[in-house]
Amino acid sequence: MRTTIQSWLFFRLLTKPSVVFVELSETRPSPYSVFFRFIFWLALIPPVFAYIGAANFGWHLGAAEPLFMSNEELIAISIAYFIALLFGFISTAMIAQWMAATYGARHSLGIHFAVVTIVAAPLAVGSIVHLYPHVFVNVLVLIPTLIWSMYLLYRGLPIVLKIGPERGMLMASSLIGWLLVAAVSLLGLSVGLWGSGIGPSIGV
Amino acid sequence: MALPLVSKMTGNANDAVVEYYHDDVVRFLVMCSLVWAVLAMTAGVYVAAELIWPGLGFDHPWLSFGRLRALHTNGIIFGFGVSALMATAFYSVQRTCHVPLALPKLAWFTGVAWQFGVLAGGLSLLAGMNGGKEYAELEWPFDIVIALLWVYFGLVFFTTIARRKIKPIYVSNWFYGGLIIVIAMLHIVNSLAMPATWFKSYSAFPGAQDAIVQWWYGHNAVGFLLTGGFLGMMYYFLPKHADRPIWSYRLSIVAFWAFTYSYIWAGPHHLHYNSIPDWVQNLGMGMSLILLAPSWATMVNGIMTVSSAWEKLRTDPALKFIVLSLAFYGLATFEGPMMAIKSVNVVSHFTDWTIGHVHSGALGWNAMITFGTFYFLVPRLVGGKLYSVRMANAHFWMALAGTMLYVLAMWGAGVSQGLLWLSLDQIGELSFSFKDIMASMVPYYLLRLVAGLIFLAGAVMMTYNLAMTIKGRPTVKVRPPEVTAYRVDS
Repeated sequence: MRTTIQSWLFFRLLTKPSVVFVELSETRPSPYSVFFRFIFWLALIPPVFAYIGAANFGWHLGAAEPLFMSNEELIAISIAYFIALLFGFISTAMIAQWMAATYGARHSLGIHFAVVTIVAAPLAVGSIVHLYPHVFVNVLVLIPTLIWSMYLLYRGLPIVLKIGPERGMLMASSLIGWLLVAAVSLLGLSVGLWGSGIGPSIGV
Repeated sequence: MALPLVSKMTGNANDAVVEYYHDDVVRFLVMCSLVWAVLAMTAGVYVAAELIWPGLGFDHPWLSFGRLRALHTNGIIFGFGVSALMATAFYSVQRTCHVPLALPKLAWFTGVAWQFGVLAGGLSLLAGMNGGKEYAELEWPFDIVIALLWVYFGLVFFTTIARRKIKPIYVSNWFYGGLIIVIAMLHIVNSLAMPATWFKSYSAFPGAQDAIVQWWYGHNAVGFLLTGGFLGMMYYFLPKHADRPIWSYRLSIVAFWAFTYSYIWAGPHHLHYNSIPDWVQNLGMGMSLILLAPSWATMVNGIMTVSSAWEKLRTDPALKFIVLSLAFYGLATFEGPMMAIKSVNVVSHFTDWTIGHVHSGALGWNAMITFGTFYFLVPRLVGGKLYSVRMANAHFWMALAGTMLYVLAMWGAGVSQGLLWLSLDQIGELSFSFKDIMASMVPYYLLRLVAGLIFLAGAVMMTYNLAMTIKGRPTVKVRPPEVTAYRVDS
């Protein structure tokens, strides 16, 4: 069983996902290599695009003129975004590994890192839309991307983790539950901080 | 297997003395629930479209947003929700007590009269008779009818439990019982009013107290009807479905009492930053946060029950719905306490985030667990197979896509709204007018409309699928099995 993942593999997610799943199911990568070769860079894409977009065009929340923030605020937000993404990646992989015992799936952390990378890759690439920071345009692009990610999760998880489709279905649904809770926590946390006056001043 | 009533039959060929479970009334209520689901969801889709194209009201009062919106919520809660709860309560209480339904004629009367009540109530809302209290809009004559029918529902349910042949009262019955008692209490207290005319009354409570009573009602209607009642459904049908006992029966009972105790205090979180005492708001917030523990205990119990039954998922689309409903239950019961925190609520209150939250519960939890239950229940009621498993599988993906799209669109809309409303310019005035902000919501509302249409299409497909399953087949007659352990008289 190979221990490294070839870089081209992730590019084929868009064209032939099933080939990637089968390939990954025969691989036993180390968590460090997956992290430093893929996750770290993927997590860097959205904050960088968001920074460039917000600095040049300002955020369009939907009404009236765009919202510009100072450079320091933008850098702080982008760093926070990066940390949140890394936390999301790692915590999801660790939760998946924890669930693996229940569903009789492969246990190595590296392979769970790889699964999360598969699911997150389309979203990270789709975040190119942050270059034009209009909330609705972002929603419009990221929702189909999210559907693609979910399809990859339901389709790929059982193959890569070598479990039956039924268990895969349950485990994927459980992960969706966790991701929804994580998403809404992030939303609540940002809004709560804004409401308490911590964070960028946007007149709130 | 020997049957408890076989002795009565000895030497008597007359089948009439044999007691069977009363499942005809269950079948009737399931079909009514499906019809209300389609009608009330259609009303929901229509009001969603009106928010984009206000002209769809055609200046006709019956088509105005204010009237149709109340029809949508009442139709879903009282038509779809309560009919499904009555059906499943009647079905499961017989089987968990090993006796046929007590007072079957009263059960039929309650079930049929309820449908007429919902129909007449819905028409009264369209005609503009509205008491003005959310989820309690119906005017006083309807309130009296609801109270009476609810007491009859309780009479049938508790008399059946009193006549049970098996000693322990299974946990699903605790939840259904909690639903019946608490909703009766909430409905009667909140509806206390002085009638002025046949269709106009004034609340018995003044000012801020009225608001507190209303949200004590409103939040606990969510708690004991949309959460507790449907948990009753979950606790009976999930183990049945998975063919496994509940993962931890003890946890289910502890969670029931913790849930019942903490839910009843949480209502004031609907009135944050309003003219009610600050300590009442803080109490509501505190109890809402505590509520997370019993809610998640129940979710864990459900997921662990199904965790060992995966081989069933291959053949059973119904179980998929129930598994996913638990994920959305987890989301909604986490999001709710979070939104009750005052510093989050300052942004989320009065925005579409609240609508998104309600629908993650209503579509993701209530509707999906009901769909899963109906896909399981209906073929068994008529002793046949589901008309189309493929259609049910397609429905699953449509329900998931519709719910996700709805929730995401409303998160986007809600957070934008909240921030725009709070934005101030340099001289401290509001940066944006209400009208501008509403106009900027149109793209999100379009997404929500698409989500609603997908979800509605799934529900229509299910109704057709289940109607074809039932068509031409009589209800199967089932006799209560003999009680071998935990007999009441042992």
